[in-house]
Amino acid sequence: MQLGFLVDLHLCMGCKGCEIACKVENEVPLSTWRLRVKYVDVGTFPETRRTFTPLRCNHCENAPCERICPVSALHYLENGIVNIDKERCIGCSGCVMACPYGAIYIDPQTQTADKCTYCAHRVASSMMPACVVACPVQANIFGDLEDPTSNISKYIQVHQGGIQVRKPEKGTNPHHYYVGGGNVTLNPLASHRIDGHSLFTKITTLPVGGHH
Amino acid sequence: MVHETLAATNAVVTLDVALPGIVWPWLVTVNMWAKSIGTGVIFMLFMLLRMHPESAKSLRLSTAIVAFIFINIFLLFTLADLHQPFRMWHIFVHSHLTSSITVGAWMATIFLGLLTLLMFFAWKKNDEAYDKLLLWVAILAIPVTLYTAALMAQCTARELWQMPTEAAQMILAALLAGSATMILLGGDKLSSEAKNTLGVVLGLSALMAFIIYMSEYIFGPMKAEEVAAVLDYVKGDGQYTVMFWLGQWIAYLLPMLLILLSRVSKSESILKLAAILALVGLAMVKHVWLMIPQLLPMS
Repeated sequence: MQLGFLVDLHLCMGCKGCEIACKVENEVPLSTWRLRVKYVDVGTFPETRRTFTPLRCNHCENAPCERICPVSALHYLENGIVNIDKERCIGCSGCVMACPYGAIYIDPQTQTADKCTYCAHRVASSMMPACVVACPVQANIFGDLEDPTSNISKYIQVHQGGIQVRKPEKGTNPHHYYVGGGNVTLNPLASHRIDGHSLFTKITTLPVGGHH
Repeated sequence: MVHETLAATNAVVTLDVALPGIVWPWLVTVNMWAKSIGTGVIFMLFMLLRMHPESAKSLRLSTAIVAFIFINIFLLFTLADLHQPFRMWHIFVHSHLTSSITVGAWMATIFLGLLTLLMFFAWKKNDEAYDKLLLWVAILAIPVTLYTAALMAQCTARELWQMPTEAAQMILAALLAGSATMILLGGDKLSSEAKNTLGVVLGLSALMAFIIYMSEYIFGPMKAEEVAAVLDYVKGDGQYTVMFWLGQWIAYLLPMLLILLSRVSKSESILKLAAILALVGLAMVKHVWLMIPQLLPMS
């Protein structure tokens, strides 16, 4: 079994339901996120459009975080999920530095690394990840990549030419795919990030792990 | 390529979470700086005992003590940077050997043990045992100083820290810091020939390190857009431009000039000034190179 995720960006409408569901399900502390939806506006008024990109751990086949972790706190499960053992983590932040997707954070309450686990605890009980359940338009597709009859495999077969991953040049072989993505949505360097000009906040950076 | 795309698309992030700030702070700079001194003085003593044995023999104990102190500083700051420092022992009982952190921790611990033994032999004035052990300590000092380059290379997210240049920079930093420290430590015990040799090592390692930094500065942007974006922080009115150039001048250019001047004027004071500047500048250079890749948004 090799679990994977696919997000159809044609369907995503940026409701952030997945983000909230993840926060609640995993009790993700304030100032940290396992899953977030990034809005990028493209074009010049009046020819503008808004794109929405859910971003979470890519559960890479060749995960830099697993390789750099000095105590195997980050480890592979048999179903391909890159999981984390918070009791073992020493908080060296090596994984935070290694992850090309910025998907790992230091939990300010436990002072250990944490990230999306594809809701491994729910998957173990044959349930779907919380974000999949919450999505009103089924933009999040989750399943076994090795099973040709699974929804995700069928989706990949149908959209063969349009399947993308983030930063393929890093050689991490992510198990998280996008349909309908582009440079603007998947490459963080392809959009301006103007300090203090986000819609609802002027905070652009936060200290790692709270006040360390 | 991205810069043209930006102009064409006018893409702006309008809603996102706050991104993490600096992950590895100045504590890691001190870690690298202290390790360069701790390993570098061992390289230098090994060299001096072969090239200028009469002059260097009195430095056996003091060099071992300096190396011991700076390797302890290196380990202390590594520990201080952990978010869960009291779980540090997990590294030894749950060792994950693909990680440079694990391998480095084991090697540094063994290195520290050997330094303790060196101090003991020096205190007992057992020069034969000391010199035999010094060979192995000097050999072990190579991977101990290099492991940080491997660790930085394992940070897949940070394109700037390419293994080939980082490995060279780590060794050069050890040679620079080691020779500078030995110039200051040697005082009147070292002959002028021995100091000249240390000056040559200091000057050449400064020159080579400077060349590599300039190569990265000029050619780095051609190899990856991430490197280009990161190096923007040390170009123009970048956040670290001033510190970067101050570091290059204080660590490399001024020491090189001062070493030439000291050889012409046969002034030991100028040589010592070069050594002090090299040590101060090295911390600045290391700090800038550590910080700038962390300023780039990863997602």
